Amino acid sequence: MNQESDPFSIAIDFPQSHLFFPNIVHWVLLILALSIALVHGREIIHHVQGWAESYREHGLDYDRLRLFGTLGLVIAYFLLMNWVGQLFPNTGMGFLLVSMPFMALLSLLYVHDINRKKVLIILANAIIAPFMAWYVLAQLFFITLP
Amino acid sequence: MEILSLLSPMFFLLVMFGVLVGIIFGAIPGMTATMAVAVCLPMTYGLDLTNGLALLLGLYVGGISGGLVPAILLNIPGTPSSITTTFDGYPMTQKGLGEQALKTGITASLFGGLFSALVLFLFAPTLADFAIKFSYIEKFLIILFALTVIASLSKRLLVGLFSGALGIWFSLIGTYDISVGGNGEYRLMPEFLVDYLESGFSLLPVLIGMFGLGTILQEAEKGVREEAVDSVKFQKGAAFSFSVFKGQFVNLTRSGAIGTFVGMLPGVGGSAASVLSYTQQKNFSKEPEKLGKGAPEGVIASESANNGLTGGALIPLLSLGIPGDSTTAVLIGAFTLQGIQLGPLFIGENLDTWNVMMVAVIFANIVMFTIMFFAIRHIAKVVTVPKYLLYPGILMMCVVGAYAINYGVMFDVWTLLIFGVFAWLGQKVGLEVAPFIIGFILGGQAEVYFVKSLESFGTLTIFFTKSPIAIFLWGLIVISVAYSVHHTVRAMRRKNGGSGV
Repeated sequence: MNQESDPFSIAIDFPQSHLFFPNIVHWVLLILALSIALVHGREIIHHVQGWAESYREHGLDYDRLRLFGTLGLVIAYFLLMNWVGQLFPNTGMGFLLVSMPFMALLSLLYVHDINRKKVLIILANAIIAPFMAWYVLAQLFFITLP
Repeated sequence: MEILSLLSPMFFLLVMFGVLVGIIFGAIPGMTATMAVAVCLPMTYGLDLTNGLALLLGLYVGGISGGLVPAILLNIPGTPSSITTTFDGYPMTQKGLGEQALKTGITASLFGGLFSALVLFLFAPTLADFAIKFSYIEKFLIILFALTVIASLSKRLLVGLFSGALGIWFSLIGTYDISVGGNGEYRLMPEFLVDYLESGFSLLPVLIGMFGLGTILQEAEKGVREEAVDSVKFQKGAAFSFSVFKGQFVNLTRSGAIGTFVGMLPGVGGSAASVLSYTQQKNFSKEPEKLGKGAPEGVIASESANNGLTGGALIPLLSLGIPGDSTTAVLIGAFTLQGIQLGPLFIGENLDTWNVMMVAVIFANIVMFTIMFFAIRHIAKVVTVPKYLLYPGILMMCVVGAYAINYGVMFDVWTLLIFGVFAWLGQKVGLEVAPFIIGFILGGQAEVYFVKSLESFGTLTIFFTKSPIAIFLWGLIVISVAYSVHHTVRAMRRKNGGSGV
C-alpha cells in the first residue's frame, strides 16, 4: 500500500518518540477541558456563585485547625523522620522516635471532648502502636524504615 | 501436586489474619477494603508471594464483607458497596432484628463470594487463553474500553474521561523506557526532578496517598466527627434461622451474578453492583412494597452482590492485567513487587500461584463467614473505636508502605503527600478517582501499545481494521460512550424539567 496516499498514515521520528504520546494526551486533555466547559459550564458557574455567596454569608465552612494541623504535622513528621533517621542510620529509629510524638499530637488534634482518660489512651496508643509496627516490620521482617 | 507444599499453616493463618483485619477496616465507616490492602501492604514485603497473596486476598474479602456491620447497625455504609444494605438492614435493627439481619447478610456474602470464586475459576483461564492471541492493537483497545467504561459510569462522562486522561498523563512522567522500545529520553518534568522521577511516580505511594492520606484529609476538613455511638446493643428479637433463605435462591444467584459481572467491568465499584441487584430484586419480588422497610431479601440482594465483586474484579486483573476496582489496583502493585507480571500469560506460567489464589479466595470466604457468623456480637463493637486513635495509626502505616516499597526512598513518602493532597483537592473540583487511578496504572502500557502499533503499521486505520476482535472492541467502546451520553442527557432533561428551567 502506498503510505503517501493514506491520509491516516503516520511516521514517528524515533529521537522524538518520547513526546509523541504525551502530545496526544495534551490534546485530549485540552479538548476534554473545553468540552467540560461547554457542557457543564453553566452548572460550574452556578456552583461557584453558590459557593461565593455561602462564603460571603458564613465564611469557609471547614475545620481549619484540624485540616491545616494535619498537613503541618504530616510535613513535620516526614522531615523529622528523615533527619532523625540519618542520626541513627539503618535502625528504623527515625520512624520509631518521631512516630510516637506524631501519633500523640495528631490524636490530640482530632479528639473531641478531651478528658484525662482519653489522654491516657492516646498516649498509650502513641507509644504502643509505633513500637509494635517498628518491632514487627523492622526487627522481624527486616523491612527498611527511616 | 506442588500446590500442597505451598499451602503451609502460615498460609492459612495469614488468610485468617487478613480476613479479620479486613473485616475491622470494612466495619469502620470511612475505611475501605482498598485502604486495608494499602495500609497492610508493608507486611507483605517480608513474605514470599504465596503468603503475601494469602494476606492480601484475606484483607480484600474481609474488607468488602465488613461493611455490612455499620450499615445494618448504624445505618452508615461501612464501604460504598454496602449502601443498599442499609435500606433493609437498618429497619430490621430498629425492629429488634439486628442480629438476624447481620447473619442473613453474612450468609448471603458467603454465597456471593463463593459464586464469584467459581466464576473466576472457570472464566479467568478461558479469557486469558483468548487474550494471548491479542496483538498490541487489541491490547490498546482493551485499555481504551476500560477507560471509557469507567468514565461512562462516572457522575459526568466528560469529567470521568478527563480524570482518566489525567491519570495517563501522570503515568507518562519520567523516562520513555528503553526496555519497552522507548528512546530513553525524559519528559513532562523539570530538570531538577530528574534524579527522583527517572522512573516516574511509584504506583503504591500514589495509591496509598490517594486512598489513605486523601481520605484522612477529607475527614480532617470535616472535623473528624465521631459517630454518636458509644456502644452497640443487640435488642432481644427473633433468633436467626436459615429458613429466611427459603425461596431466595434466585435472588442469591442473580445478585451474585450481577456482582460478579459488575466486578469484571473495570473500575465500576461495588455500589453499582449492589444498587443494580437491589433494584432487580425489587422488580422481581413478590412483595416489592416490603423492600426498604426491613425485608431480609433486600439484605440478601445487596450482600450477595457486593461479595460477588471479589471474584469478578479478579478476572480482568489476572487474565488481562486490568484491575476491576481500586482494591485490585493495589493488588497489581503487590504483584509487581513480587516480580509477577499480570496479563494473559500469568495463569499459564504461574499455575501454582493461580491455584493458591483460588484456595485463598475460597478459604477467605469461609473464614469470613465463620468469624462473622459466630463472633458478630464482638466484631460489631469495632464500629465504636474512635477515629482519633485510628487515623494516626493509619497514617503511620501509610508512611511505612510508601518508604519501604523501593527499599527506603524518601521521595516516595513525599509522593504520598503530593497525591494525598491532590486527591483531597481533586474531589473538591469533581475529579473522579477511579478513572484517574486506572489511567495511571494503564497509561504506560497504553503508550507502548499505541506507539509500537503505529511504528509497525504506519497508519491509524490499523486500529479499526486489524481484526474482528478490534472491530468488536470498538463496538463495545461506542456502546459504553453512547450509554453514558444517553444517561447524561436524560438526567439533564429530568433536572431541567424538574427545576422548571
